[in-house]
Amino acid sequence: MKLKSLRETSELLQRITNTELAFFESISEEVHLATGEILFEEGGAADAFYIIAQGKVGLELTSPGRVPMVIQTLGPGDLVGISWFFPPHRWNWRARALADTTLAAFDAVEVRRQCAVNRDLLLEIQGVVAEEAVDRLHRTRLQLLDLYRNT
Amino acid sequence: MSLVTPITTPGRPEAMLPRPFRVVSQHRETPDTSTLEFEPENGHGLSFTPGQFTMLYVFGIGEVPISISGDPHRPGVLVHTVRSVGAVTKAIVGLGVGERVGIRGPYGMGWPVGAAEGKDLVIAAGGIGLAPLRPVIYDVLARRDRFAAVSLIYGSRSPADLLYPEELREWRSRFDLEVEVTVDRSDDGWLGDVGVVTGLLPRVPYDPAHAVAMLCGPEIMMKVVARELTHRGVSPHAIHVSLERNMKCAIGICGHCQFGADFICRDGPVLPYERVAEKLRVDEL
Repeated sequence: MKLKSLRETSELLQRITNTELAFFESISEEVHLATGEILFEEGGAADAFYIIAQGKVGLELTSPGRVPMVIQTLGPGDLVGISWFFPPHRWNWRARALADTTLAAFDAVEVRRQCAVNRDLLLEIQGVVAEEAVDRLHRTRLQLLDLYRNT
Repeated sequence: MSLVTPITTPGRPEAMLPRPFRVVSQHRETPDTSTLEFEPENGHGLSFTPGQFTMLYVFGIGEVPISISGDPHRPGVLVHTVRSVGAVTKAIVGLGVGERVGIRGPYGMGWPVGAAEGKDLVIAAGGIGLAPLRPVIYDVLARRDRFAAVSLIYGSRSPADLLYPEELREWRSRFDLEVEVTVDRSDDGWLGDVGVVTGLLPRVPYDPAHAVAMLCGPEIMMKVVARELTHRGVSPHAIHVSLERNMKCAIGICGHCQFGADFICRDGPVLPYERVAEKLRVDEL
């Protein structure tokens, strides 16, 4: 999949070199989801990751007897999935398209394999995933503060 | 010789004197928040600039500062959106059509809408912070051609806590205004975004070098949004925040709302972020 236009909105793709971009293009494909379609299920093998080109994806918490609760939504340019980078490589949430959505899907198994032999790529990916994880931690902390209750 | 100095401001002896207004409409926005329209009993409306506030007096209970949330191009009707958080605001939210209050003002420095002309404008609101920014939206839409890209990002506690849902839908349907809304907690029917308001910043169009940002909401939210905007290249002097402190006189005399060298009632409530950024890190200021 050609990633040039997606690079304008994706911080992950902005950080990598042109050589690495060519590698990412070689292991990517375009995926289309209709509204409501599931991208991945909680507990499933995290052998891919995604960048949203268009549309919206919700990360959902599911529980028997309860309507799935959306805990975070992700939009154009956002990285969907970081569990693929950490053992045991299993999804922690369900991901569902909340609108008709187009994504670039990447073969995470191949990225992990390349990271094992390419230290520069490993460091770049580590940096991006760590930033994403820290950003999500900060946002979660703000959500937990319940800021708007008494303002 | 008198030891008492009359409390007046030069040329404005009426500054401390409430005028009688009557409630002409009341709309419940959420279980604890209402939008009320007031008309003056003497027929003279209040001209105001977006971001200014009035002191609203419920007879026998007390007086509070409330930002004006109506259309500056309709000065005949004074609009306030009020959340019940204390005795006075609870009484205001409970007012019915025809009931009488005392109102003085408008006071304070509003949003620098003029300085945003020709530039991209990012409006970021959190919770009831959308109310003081609504006059900006009315003003900008009334002369839309004078501004470049205009965006509203709005964060709320839940879908049920969103203010002005009908207007949000109307604004979203326009091609000349980008509107993004997010909630901290979704409910069953919510198909919109979930997450903090900063997550919406990458989605709206603005050139950081030619953008003006106006932020209103909890101070923590404004700090985080301002930090994210500066991280993305917006100058701190192009970011403006609306602050809230306990007020009494509203004309810079009593000192209740002192915030460093500024009085929020007189020098604010809207202040440049670069002027207050350091102070927003000081405990109990």
